[in-house]
Amino acid sequence: MPTDYPYAQIIRRARKGREAIYPYKGDESRFSVFGANVSDKVRKFYTLEDLMITAPQFTPHRLEKSFDLISREPFFRDVDTSVKIGGFNTKLPIVQASMGSPEDWNIVADLSAKACAQLGLIYGIGENVAATWGYDERVNKKQPCLMDRILEYFENRVDGYGGILIQQNEEDAQNELWNKIYSDIRLKDYFDEGLIAFEIKGGQGAKSGIGGEKIVDRETALRLQDNGYIIHPDPSDENIDVKLYERHSSPDIFTEEILKNRILKLRNDYPRAKIWLKTGPYRDLTKVIRVATDAGIDAITIDGKEGGTGMSPTVALQNLGLPTLACLRSVKKIREEGIETSIILSGRFFDGAQVVKALALGVNAVAMGRPFLIAANAYPFSDIFLMFNLYKFGWMKKIGRIVFPPSERNINYITNFVETIKLEMQLLISSLGKYSLDLLGSEDLMALKKDLADSFELKFIFDDNEVSLTNESIKIST
Amino acid sequence: MAVVNEKSSNFDFLSSLTSDIGQIIADPAMQRVYEAYDKVSQSMRSYLSGQEGFLEFKPPLIGPVTDPGTRGAKQTEIEFYGKNYKFMSSGILYKQLLAINRQKAGYPGRIYFFADNLRMEPLETANTDRHLAEFIQVDLEIVDADHFDAMEVAEGLVRNVYKDMSKHEDLLKPIWSKFEDSWGPRGLTPRTEIKVPSKQFKKYEFEEAVAILQSHIDENPTVISEIEERFKIKVNTLRPDMELPWEYEWLLSSMHEEPFFIHDYPRGARGFYDREYEDKKGYLMDFDLLFPHGYGEAISGAAREYDHRKVIPRMKESGESLGKYKWYLDFLHKHGKPTAGFGIGLERTVRYFCALPSIMMALPYPKVPGVFNP
Repeated sequence: MPTDYPYAQIIRRARKGREAIYPYKGDESRFSVFGANVSDKVRKFYTLEDLMITAPQFTPHRLEKSFDLISREPFFRDVDTSVKIGGFNTKLPIVQASMGSPEDWNIVADLSAKACAQLGLIYGIGENVAATWGYDERVNKKQPCLMDRILEYFENRVDGYGGILIQQNEEDAQNELWNKIYSDIRLKDYFDEGLIAFEIKGGQGAKSGIGGEKIVDRETALRLQDNGYIIHPDPSDENIDVKLYERHSSPDIFTEEILKNRILKLRNDYPRAKIWLKTGPYRDLTKVIRVATDAGIDAITIDGKEGGTGMSPTVALQNLGLPTLACLRSVKKIREEGIETSIILSGRFFDGAQVVKALALGVNAVAMGRPFLIAANAYPFSDIFLMFNLYKFGWMKKIGRIVFPPSERNINYITNFVETIKLEMQLLISSLGKYSLDLLGSEDLMALKKDLADSFELKFIFDDNEVSLTNESIKIST
Repeated sequence: MAVVNEKSSNFDFLSSLTSDIGQIIADPAMQRVYEAYDKVSQSMRSYLSGQEGFLEFKPPLIGPVTDPGTRGAKQTEIEFYGKNYKFMSSGILYKQLLAINRQKAGYPGRIYFFADNLRMEPLETANTDRHLAEFIQVDLEIVDADHFDAMEVAEGLVRNVYKDMSKHEDLLKPIWSKFEDSWGPRGLTPRTEIKVPSKQFKKYEFEEAVAILQSHIDENPTVISEIEERFKIKVNTLRPDMELPWEYEWLLSSMHEEPFFIHDYPRGARGFYDREYEDKKGYLMDFDLLFPHGYGEAISGAAREYDHRKVIPRMKESGESLGKYKWYLDFLHKHGKPTAGFGIGLERTVRYFCALPSIMMALPYPKVPGVFNP
């Protein structure tokens, strides 16, 4: 018998049945962060790490910048990172990705709202928050409800910057969440100022084409079944004795017609709201962008397959969807067609270099989920615990949480994290002799792999550098 | 916020509404308004049950679903023995089922409701002078009919109200003189009489209506800033693929002397129940009737989509979850057939004949978005 045959995996499936198809057991309540691997050993496709940022000696833009500054030479802090995305002004091309109701996130989501507001960043709210934790009254004392997140953001907002994205899933739709928000008197001024977008959920990175999966107790299962969800096994059958139930929600149904008309309908119904679309790593991504653009979408977030994991089956994590870098290839194509719609890309972004590379290839901003989740949940020594892999003992996490509950400290953590991204971006962009984001272009990158270079029409890094670049640089719209 | 000119009305309507509603109800002119309300109701009932052969049903107040709100109007939930029910925001689905099944029982498939509707309209509608959160809609449905048949009934019904109310000018005149100073500021044409429309009501296709508005705006470039000034709003963009924003309905209405129809709205403008043309994709077999003189929309109606294969994609366009419409989709699957119908706003009709500056004066306990009175 071959030694690399997955004996253990097969035995786990044989023993556990359905629950073995997920990378962890049904209980989401622990500090669980899933998502794509980062190191070279485990990934099986190209990532942004296969591109290099290549600075030139000759920097005419730096000379030009010195004319503006008059009395001094440009410095990396002079790089202006502010940008307008989908109708919102933001101080950095970083969006806090729309994240929904999981306990570990929700409990710190209001802290992140405050941090994003103070940083002038766009703040996303995923689906199912009101249905799980309450609209404006807390279902659970410790857990912020939806309006806590929203008001925390607006009360701390830097004037002239930011905006909120709000998603609605089937259960939220049943409760008419968007209508409720749209007619909420507390939010009237923010709608008037154009600070709120409704984000259509068209997909999620790690499980494109698969609906949301959740494990719930019997009481919740009965309520959800009542709201039209498919629940397995049937919680209303009293002969079945299980503690936990699988809640399946539909991946929604789209055709080109449906997407187009859904956008038009939202525009029609909510004239004071911006309309965003979150889509996934689909093979017809370019078509999705075209259809949404024609229908007048304000911005499109693309979740690459390394992003948006939540509770995803292992097979989906490993086999389904376009990697983030391949999504970026679709963006390149769209830009070549002259489409200037704001595009935000997410999926395994965590440092400034990745952001600069994505911007150089045509996206307007990057959305991050996991980094905000981790920074908002971190506490003193948690990095050391991680370094020594002490989290394999579940109780270590729990104790850390009890001793250091999330607090204002975590707002600083998020601010610090974002500040590092900003600094890295400024350093790298200034190295290119550029001081604003709209100057970035494909001339700033080279590929480490020949086939990647061909695909993106970049220079292969080991080719003759003297040959002038033939491709036009891709400019992002401002 | 719609505010009635103080000089014209002896009292500041909006502040009396919240501080002393009795003062409003005790006003003799307001009592005449309530009497006119009764006259309009009687006129509609007698017309429909009489020559048109409709049967009046008591509508459901609550149900597992109601028509999804358009333009951001929120439904009201009610807990019904552990299940989530909605207060009717409009009873289209229930009308359709009722009319078809009445016909199956061997009776004429013509039915109507005096239906109480509740819509938590978005706050931006507080300025329109014609949106109430709580209102009555005279709601009818006809089996084996299309939108043109429904328009014919609508025209007959409205013309009949004109005829009946023209006999009550003595009742109306003191109301008019009470509010006449507010007409100008609210963009309403002065009223001296009820003139029964002589000709057939005009019918504009939606695109035609947009073109008329566009050329009017091009010829009078100041009209937009005048609207913004008058109604204290930011004017929406006029688009050929969306519902007409109410300020444009006002404009078009103020350019007319008699009621008129707009039909064939673009698909994004209406709910999943308005049928799409087979041979004119993207357009719906639906209509609105607008009162003239700046009063605006009175009726919305349509031929209904009845093939579940067409209803399902339309529901998905509105982001609806199919599960909660199971009873309706099952019904369409088994018994769906063509129907058409409309709803006419009772308070809007009263407002028009009484020439009230705002719809909130049409009934004693008005519910205006964002105004908190008994």
